[in-house]
Amino acid sequence: MSAEPVIATTDLTKSYGRSRGIVDVTMTIEPGEVFGFLGPNGAGKTTTIRTLLDFIRPTAGGATVFGMDPHADSVEVHRRVGYLPGEFALYEHMTGRDYLGFLAALRGGVADHQIDPLAERLQSDLTVKIASLSHGNKQKLGLIQAFMHRPPLLILDEPTQGLDPIMQQVFHAMVLEAREAGQTVFLSSHALPEVERMCDRVGIIREGRLITVEDVGALKARAVRVVDLHFARPVPAEAFSSLPGLHELEVHGDVVRCSVAGPMDALVKAAARFEVLDVESHEPSLEDIFLTFYGGDGGDPG
Amino acid sequence: MNVFTVNVFTKTMRDQRRALTGWALGMAALVLLYASFYPSIKGNESLNEYFDTLPEAVRNMVGCIDFSSPTCYIQSEIFSIMGPLLLMILAIGAGARAIAGEEETGTLDLLLANPIARRRVVLEKFWAMVAATIGVGVVMWAAIAAFGPPFGLHLGLANLGEAVLAAVLMAIGFGAGALAMGCWLGKRGLAIAVVTSVAVVTYLLNVLAPSVDAVSSLQKLSPFYYYIDNDPLRNGLDPVHALVLVLIAAAGLGLALFAFERRDLTT
Repeated sequence: MSAEPVIATTDLTKSYGRSRGIVDVTMTIEPGEVFGFLGPNGAGKTTTIRTLLDFIRPTAGGATVFGMDPHADSVEVHRRVGYLPGEFALYEHMTGRDYLGFLAALRGGVADHQIDPLAERLQSDLTVKIASLSHGNKQKLGLIQAFMHRPPLLILDEPTQGLDPIMQQVFHAMVLEAREAGQTVFLSSHALPEVERMCDRVGIIREGRLITVEDVGALKARAVRVVDLHFARPVPAEAFSSLPGLHELEVHGDVVRCSVAGPMDALVKAAARFEVLDVESHEPSLEDIFLTFYGGDGGDPG
Repeated sequence: MNVFTVNVFTKTMRDQRRALTGWALGMAALVLLYASFYPSIKGNESLNEYFDTLPEAVRNMVGCIDFSSPTCYIQSEIFSIMGPLLLMILAIGAGARAIAGEEETGTLDLLLANPIARRRVVLEKFWAMVAATIGVGVVMWAAIAAFGPPFGLHLGLANLGEAVLAAVLMAIGFGAGALAMGCWLGKRGLAIAVVTSVAVVTYLLNVLAPSVDAVSSLQKLSPFYYYIDNDPLRNGLDPVHALVLVLIAAAGLGLALFAFERRDLTT
């Protein structure tokens, strides 16, 4: 990773007097990566993103986008960024096509052949007035305007909210294609599975502080998952009690429930000695993830 | 591509096209209404006697009272309150809506995310407000020129134009003030409230100053003084007064640019 980072923040701080805001956020986003910015609502994801676009100015610290100052070079930065806000409104009286045409004009023109395929994939009807669109359909327009000019950097704040599962899959494919095309993607989310599916690296933010930045693989390895195993017959607790990475083991006759940190290998091999009817793996919640980093009372990740 | 949405200015003009049609029709209807009253009021001597009994401040509000003169009639019925009031409501509404309106509805983020500087958005919206006010001003001029003569209201079109220009310039000044307040506060309703209050106070200041010693020295702080004091319908627009009105608008625009450039946007 020798190239200049696409986004670099240094001790980025925004204070609002109360608890909202961000404190000393330092991170770099490298060219061509899909970076997930993960945290619960109100953690500071939107605040961070809005400083990158010069909508709000940091109290301390700073950020660069493509090596430029978001404030002094805002026009140049915006030219290279496709942005989807977390919350937004569109001009209700316009049709989708008029709206996209307006934004395209502000960007010096975007060809229809860059807009129409996006609208088709997202099944977005551009001929109706925006006022009559559902929340999800407005979200699609938001995505189209972010992607349509094929910017080198996509900054997407909670991009999948309001999208049904099929559209989430379409969006997922769009992000992967963007990466193939060499675009950099910075997206925020409060859902770990989504970030795991799409991203190369993940930054986790909580209460305004960046807790960690990890490769998705490493995050998965550290993630604690709750697993339920259903057997055909009752199994002895001793068969599982000494396995590495296993916590909170409960054996109730033919059902085994435990938390697994890292690889599943030992558990699966131990279970394979018995007749397995069903395996349920529960995605860890964000709180579970935080606990693995804080070593809280949820278990000892080692 | 839709030719009405090539930039922020044209898009703002497009957005207000229906409202502007309404404003233009309303202004024309107002002029027609007042013009049609003229034949029955012209010869009514008792009205003149009645006006003489009114306090000086009220007579200042009305302007002049010799209704046998078409200039005086148009002056007091249209230019003393209703005409400038309509133009001001239009300009203040457009100025407050320009930035604060978009900010409150939530459309501003996606507008400013484009490669367009904040100051350019403010400027283009300012010019859209100016164009709208001038447009309705032209309608006002044309309506008086067209509807007046059939009812015996013959006025010099040049002076009429200068009087309309004075009203338009003052309205733009208040509109620029509303733009500035919206840019500074981010709240449309508050911006309208502040500027409307200023308009009411400065209006009263100008009307009361000649007869109330306590405020007589403050008259020149009122934009209304520069609008009406030279009696533009009769004497034309004083260039210095016109310049002051332009400077008020420029100051509002300057404050708008300054405030908006330095502020965090609200979500």
